[in-house]
Amino acid sequence: MSIVTVQLGQCGNQIGFEVFDALFSDSHCSQGFCSKKENEAYQASCKERFFSEEENGVPIARAVLVDMEPKVINQTLSKAAQSGRWKYGQHSCFCQKQGSGNNWAYGYSVHGPRHQESIMNLIQKEVEKCDSLSGFFIIMSMAGGTGSGLGAFITQNLQDEFSNSLRMNQIIWPYGTGEVIVQNYNSILTLSHLYRSSDALLVHENDAVHKICAKLMNIKQISFSDINQVLAHQLGSVFQPTYSAEGSSHYRRNPLGDLMENLVPHPEFKMLGIRNIPQMPENSLAYSAFTWAGLLKHLRQMLISNAKMEEGINWQVRPPLSGLPPLGRASVGAEPHFNTSIANLVILRGKEAHSADLEGFKEPALYTSWLKPVDAFSVWRTQRAFRRYEKSAALVSNSQFLVKPLDTIVGRAWNMFASKAYIHQYTKFGVEEEDFLDSFTLLEQIVASYCNL
Amino acid sequence: MGRRRRRLAGAAGVGAGALPEAIAALSQSLPAGPSPEVFRRAKFDRPEAASALWRLLFHVLSPLGAVGASASLGPEARARWVKSALSSQGYQRPALARLPEDGSQGSRELLLALSWLLARGPLLERLLAQTRVRLGDEVPALECESLAWPGPGVEAEGPVDVRRVQWLLGKLRLRWRGLASGQREHSALLSKIHRYTYGCHGNHSLGHLSVTETEALRDPENGRQLLQALERENARLEAAVRWRACELVYWQWMDTVLGACPPEVPAAASQPTSLPRIPEHRAGELELVARELQGLQEALREAAEPRRAAWEARVGGQGQGPRGSFSRRAVQEAVQQQLAALQRSWEQDPGPARPLGPHRLVRSRDGTAAGQGLQAAEVIGMLRSQEACLEAVLHQLQGQCRQELARLAGALPALVWIPPPGR
Repeated sequence: MSIVTVQLGQCGNQIGFEVFDALFSDSHCSQGFCSKKENEAYQASCKERFFSEEENGVPIARAVLVDMEPKVINQTLSKAAQSGRWKYGQHSCFCQKQGSGNNWAYGYSVHGPRHQESIMNLIQKEVEKCDSLSGFFIIMSMAGGTGSGLGAFITQNLQDEFSNSLRMNQIIWPYGTGEVIVQNYNSILTLSHLYRSSDALLVHENDAVHKICAKLMNIKQISFSDINQVLAHQLGSVFQPTYSAEGSSHYRRNPLGDLMENLVPHPEFKMLGIRNIPQMPENSLAYSAFTWAGLLKHLRQMLISNAKMEEGINWQVRPPLSGLPPLGRASVGAEPHFNTSIANLVILRGKEAHSADLEGFKEPALYTSWLKPVDAFSVWRTQRAFRRYEKSAALVSNSQFLVKPLDTIVGRAWNMFASKAYIHQYTKFGVEEEDFLDSFTLLEQIVASYCNL
Repeated sequence: MGRRRRRLAGAAGVGAGALPEAIAALSQSLPAGPSPEVFRRAKFDRPEAASALWRLLFHVLSPLGAVGASASLGPEARARWVKSALSSQGYQRPALARLPEDGSQGSRELLLALSWLLARGPLLERLLAQTRVRLGDEVPALECESLAWPGPGVEAEGPVDVRRVQWLLGKLRLRWRGLASGQREHSALLSKIHRYTYGCHGNHSLGHLSVTETEALRDPENGRQLLQALERENARLEAAVRWRACELVYWQWMDTVLGACPPEVPAAASQPTSLPRIPEHRAGELELVARELQGLQEALREAAEPRRAAWEARVGGQGQGPRGSFSRRAVQEAVQQQLAALQRSWEQDPGPARPLGPHRLVRSRDGTAAGQGLQAAEVIGMLRSQEACLEAVLHQLQGQCRQELARLAGALPALVWIPPPGR
C-alpha cells in the first residue's frame, strides 16, 4: 500500500528530498547481503510504497511539494532530477511568489484557506495514482512560519477529506536556542492543532540529530544537509520493507497501519521518538562488526535512560523493582529519570536478524502498568541489510522521551504569553487568546498524562 | 421441552429401510456432519459419539459458521459455549446443563439438542445458505446482523484500567479505517476486472466475468476445483431434498430416543442453573443502571404532567359542539401524522421490495438499463439516508452524554472539567 508525502515549507522540502533519496538508494543498493530474489522483492515493495511509474521508467516520488516561495522547491526539484535515478512529478508542486515571514497565524488563517483548493487538488491527483492508499506523511517544522501554520491547516483538511486514511506528521523539533523569537508560540499552536487532527506525531529533535552528526559522524561543519541525511537514514530504517510476520518471507503491506496500531491507538498518547543504532560515517562501515546482543543491549539502555545516541549513555539508570515507583517518576525535572514506555517497536535489519534475542525489551518493568509487554512490544525483521550496515536496529517508541522538551516549550511559551508579548501578530490574523489558552490546556493535559504512566 | 409429535396421517410406508436413509440424508446435508453411526450410537448414549456431536453443535450455533474460532478453543471452552448458546436460545433441559465439559459423555442429550434446533426453524437451509459456492462477486449484506450473544471469547477478570479500554478502542478504530481502505482498494480492482472482461460472459444479461469465473478460466486447476466444489454442494442439496422427503421417520425415531432417557429429576433446586454468572461488581452497576432508568422515568413524568394539565385546560375551554369536535379531530389527525413520521424516521424504511441477502455485482454499460435487480444508485441512496439517521441519533446521544457529564461535573464545585481533545 502506498504512502503519499506532503512536503511543507523549506524544512519539509529539504528533508523530503533526502528521505526519498535515501529510500531509493538503499533499495537499489547492490550490497544487501541477501539473495537476488530477496533483493528484488525488497525493491518492489519499496517502490510500490513510495514511487510511481512513468512511461520512460524513471520512478516518480509520491509527493506533493508546498512552499510559499519558489526558491527551495526549485532547488529540490533540480537536485532530484539531476541524479537521473528518480524525480518528482512535474506538476506536483505548489508555490507562491512571496513568503509568510514566520507568522503561524498567517500560514494557518490566510495562506491555508486561500490556497486550500489548489493544494488539495494536487494531493487528490497523487492519491488517484495509488492503487491503494495507506496514508500520508506530512513533513514540516514545528516552529517556523509557513511550514507550521500551513501544515496544521493542511493536516486538518486531510482529516476531513480522507478520514479513513492514516496521517503521520514528521515534526522537526527546533533547536532549544533557536533564532525565531516566537518559536515557542508556533510550537504550542502546531502541536495542539496536530494532536486533534493527526494520528501520530513522529518527532525529530534538531538538537539530538546535531549531536549525532558531531559525535558519531565526525562532521566538522554541520550543515542542514548533514542533519537531514541523518534524519532520512532514521526514517528509512523504519519504513523500508520488513517481513509481515515472524517466519514469513513476504514483505509487510501496510507498515504505517501496523505501526500505528501497535504504538498510537490511544488518543492521548501520540508522540513518538526514533532511536537507531549503529550510526557511523559511511567509510567506517567496512571496519565495523557488531553482534545483535551488543546492539540491542545499547538500544535498550538508550530507551531506558532516554539517550539520544549510542555514545554517552547513562548506564546507571535501571528499571524499577516491581511494586516500587521508578526513580524520579513524579517530577519532570529530576535526573536520572527512568523512561517509562507505553509501547515500543523494534526493527531489525541484516544478517541473522531472525535469531536476535529481544527478551530485554519484554520486561514488564519497562512499561506502564496498564499494558502488558505482549501488547506493548512488537518487532519487525528482515534479513536484507539497510544501506550496507551489516546489522542495524531502529526503535520507534511511545514513551516519556518528549515530556521534558515539551514541558520546557510550554513553560517558555506561557511566560511569554503571561506578558502578552507578540500576541498581536497572531490576533491580527484570527488566532485569538482563546486559541492559545486551549492549546496550553491540551498540552498540559498531555504532559500530565505522560507523567502519570 | 415439548415433544414434537407427528401424526402418522395414514401413511404406513415406514419400513425398516426408511430410517437409515433419513439419517444418512441428514448427515450428508449437515456441514461437518457426523457419520450415521454417530446418530445411532447417540441413541444409546455411547460416549464415543459425544465429541463429534459437541463439534457439530458448536459449528451449527456459531453465528457465521465460525470455522476459525473452533481451532482456537479447547474442548472445555467449546462445550461451555455450546451450553450457554443453547440456553440463550431457550433450550431448557437440565440434563444438558449437567453434562461434563470434557466432551466424554452425553451423546444422547446432544442428539436431542440437535434435533430441537432442527425442529425449531430452517436450520438446514440456513447452514446451506452460509456455505454456498459463490460464483459472482458480491456486495456485502446490506443489513447489519447484530449477534445476539457474544461469540466465544475472553471473560473479563476484575476491574480494568480505563486507559487500557481506550487503547483497545483506538486499535479497533484504526482497524476499522484499515478495513475501509481495503474495501476501497477491493472495489477499484473489481471494477478493473469487470471492465476488462466485458463481453466474455455467456450470459448476456451479466455481460462480464466475476473474479471466481476469471480465475476458473485462467487456470484449469482452479476450474477443476470450482467444479468439485459445485459437485459437493449439489450432493448436499440433493441430500437435503431427500431429508425433507423422509424426515417424518426421523422424528418418530427421536420420540423413541426421548423415551429412552431416564425420567427427569424433579428437584431442580439442588442443581445450579446455567445462567451466565454476573460478577459481583457488575451487580452494583446493574443497580446503578436500574436507578438511572427510574430517575429518567420520573423526570419524564414530571415534564409531561404540567404539559398535559395545560393542554387539558386549553382543550376543556374549547367546549363541545361541532367546532370543538372538528378541531379535536384535526388535532388527532395531526398527531397521527406526526407519530407516523416519527416512526418512519426511527425504523429503517425497507424500501421498494429490497431483498435481503447478498447480491451479485454487475457492471453495465451506459444505456442498458437493467430490468431486474437493484441499481447501485438506489442502494447508495438508501445507505446514505440510513447513515444520516444514525448520525442524527449519534449526535443526540453525544449531546445527552455531554449534558450528563456537565451536570455531574457541576455537582462537584472543586472540579474543573476539561473535555478531551477532538473536534
